[in-house]
Amino acid sequence: MLKSVTSSGVAAPQATTGATSPQAKMVTISINGKEVEVKEGSTIIEAYYQSGLDIAHYCWHPGLSIAGVCRLCMVEIEGNPRLQIACNTTVVAGMKVNNSSAKVKDAVKWGLDFHLINHPLDCPICDQAGECGLQDQYMKYGQYDSEMGEQKVKKHKVVDLGPRVVLDSERCILCSRCVRFTDEVSKTHELGIFNRGDRAEIGTFEGKPLANNYSLNTVDICPVGALTSRDFRFRQRVWFLKNAETVCTGCSTGCNVKVYFNKEGLFRMKPVYNPNVNGHWMCDVGRDTYKFVNKEARLLEAKVVSSGKSQEMPAMELAKKLGATLRGHGTSAALVLTGSYSVEEYEAIVSYFKTDVGTKNIYHWINNPETFDSFDGLLFRGDKNPNTRGLLEVLKAQGISGSWKELVDGIGTGAIKTVVVAGPENQANFPDMKVKIAELSKVAKLVWLTSGKNAELDALTGDVALLPVKSYVEKAGSFVNHAGLRQQVDRVMTVVPGAVSLTELVDLMKEVGDAMTVKSTAATETVPAISANQIGQGRINNEFTLSRGVW
Amino acid sequence: MAIAIEKVKRAEATDTWYMPGILWGLLLTFKSLVLNLIDYIPSVVGVKKRQIMPTVNYPEEKYEYSPRFKGNHVLTVKKDGSLRCTACMLCATNCPADCIKITASEHEDPSVEKFPIAYEIDILRCVFCGFCEEACPVDAIRMGPEWQTPGVNGSEFIYDIKHLAYRPQLKGGIVSVLDEKERHEAGI
Repeated sequence: MLKSVTSSGVAAPQATTGATSPQAKMVTISINGKEVEVKEGSTIIEAYYQSGLDIAHYCWHPGLSIAGVCRLCMVEIEGNPRLQIACNTTVVAGMKVNNSSAKVKDAVKWGLDFHLINHPLDCPICDQAGECGLQDQYMKYGQYDSEMGEQKVKKHKVVDLGPRVVLDSERCILCSRCVRFTDEVSKTHELGIFNRGDRAEIGTFEGKPLANNYSLNTVDICPVGALTSRDFRFRQRVWFLKNAETVCTGCSTGCNVKVYFNKEGLFRMKPVYNPNVNGHWMCDVGRDTYKFVNKEARLLEAKVVSSGKSQEMPAMELAKKLGATLRGHGTSAALVLTGSYSVEEYEAIVSYFKTDVGTKNIYHWINNPETFDSFDGLLFRGDKNPNTRGLLEVLKAQGISGSWKELVDGIGTGAIKTVVVAGPENQANFPDMKVKIAELSKVAKLVWLTSGKNAELDALTGDVALLPVKSYVEKAGSFVNHAGLRQQVDRVMTVVPGAVSLTELVDLMKEVGDAMTVKSTAATETVPAISANQIGQGRINNEFTLSRGVW
Repeated sequence: MAIAIEKVKRAEATDTWYMPGILWGLLLTFKSLVLNLIDYIPSVVGVKKRQIMPTVNYPEEKYEYSPRFKGNHVLTVKKDGSLRCTACMLCATNCPADCIKITASEHEDPSVEKFPIAYEIDILRCVFCGFCEEACPVDAIRMGPEWQTPGVNGSEFIYDIKHLAYRPQLKGGIVSVLDEKERHEAGI
């Protein structure tokens, strides 16, 4: 599970007010007979969430505007003869609200019945089953026998809304969350509701498919199985998957995500609410970043190529051999780092090269310098590394400032004989992969640390060693995002049992160099490269990410 | 204080002698032999059918189980002969032995939508509890009457779609009682 990091380095307490500023005026209202203090101006449904009480709803979503179309969040307000919707009623001091009376329960129950009138109930083949708002709320608030005697209205099934999203109109309950998302968040306005009454359907306009980089968020916020992800569709039933929180490594934003996995590997990623980083959303590019972690894409065993012969061996064995070669190697050794690794790993390997190897030849491989500062205005950044900032901070703290030209010249003149490359995790984000491999393979001895397979690396002859390293879900560590926010993640699962993290690699290499050295993690010994005031507030828990969540 | 002494009765020769027990057992055996012979001879000459003998001459004779016997699985088919299974994986979810493996895929017909491209039952792991049959919402899997299923290697005990739905004994497949088209027309 993800650990919250605050400026003091302690896990943040469960903040019940979320992004509420401390200056906000509070009012006291009574919910189901319980006195609750809520921020002035918030709605009743927000008050329910803040006080941890259950309330039925479909169309309301904390990240979207209020539509008030599902009529399910009914509450009884004292002094008001009719039931009101909680999502669009603002709290007033002294207000007495309840949703536990028989009147409210009855209204919610028959409201649900109306929603399910034309719903096909094809749960067995619906991907949403197991995490579906209709299923959950029927069990909680419904449990009636349908009184619908008419035939259900038939609508379009398996409609391609875009490259990533598939629509089933029959399952749709017209909550309009997806329409509001494209209008308010992505601001691309692809979706709309067409026709009227029970013939109303979600759809796109001719020639304008739902193809923006945030389209899969509509699948997340769809409370039923109307919108499904083309990528995840039919691949697993959700109840076979476990999940864990981590940070997306697709770009330097560092969105908080949940990865869904089982023993076969990772299957999908979903955003986790964090007002300081990504809010409720994440981009579609980020959702694909689970693919390079799965076993099919990974390097499983270390491989050593020397004098034309290739030999496979366990990573630990190779690591120990490397330690013996590198120790005291001096300035003829060089290290190339990419922004894919955690701060702790950088600290370990950089200090190892400085002290044990005895070289300051450490270089930063920047994948796309020209688009580094680009930003799409919402979440997606041009710097497609999770930890560029962390790397730069570590290099700065260790007093290292090598330019790429130095490295190339060093290789050219033969001054640098051994290069260790901590290669990119997500190779798709490194368009210059081929060029760099060609450039670096000119060195006498090349050691490439990589989590993924690569055909060019496999084809190298010369004196080459490939060592499998752990991907971001297989190790604990922290990543510093573009804004200097340090986020700590825990290990999620093991994909490649033989792989090592850079910290473990350093430990293994050190043991060979000096057998008497007490085994220690370099990260705990060195001073953190990032000073305390730069550590912003990382992940926080709040009312919307409590155990039940919002679909 | 005197210590209480209990006199233990040791087993005597008549108690430890095993011969009477063996003879008693043999008597029972001989009784069955004689009775079976008396019963068997008329059936050989064809006078009457044998009744008393509790054993059967397997494999020449086979025991007939009740029609409710839960034997090897059958995947039912639709009227057009395609698989009834919708790959909802409720059987796999319910399976206590974890022996069902299904790979689902998108069907070209949107009214079918989801179907299995692979359905495998590891019959050696199966405990024949019938939970898969109970979990199935569309009568796609049933426990059939077969119980003699020899095989010469492990792979023969992993039943695929071809075996489960279309093995020769099924004569082209068992048609499911639930028809998708009829259900659609009925507005379900």
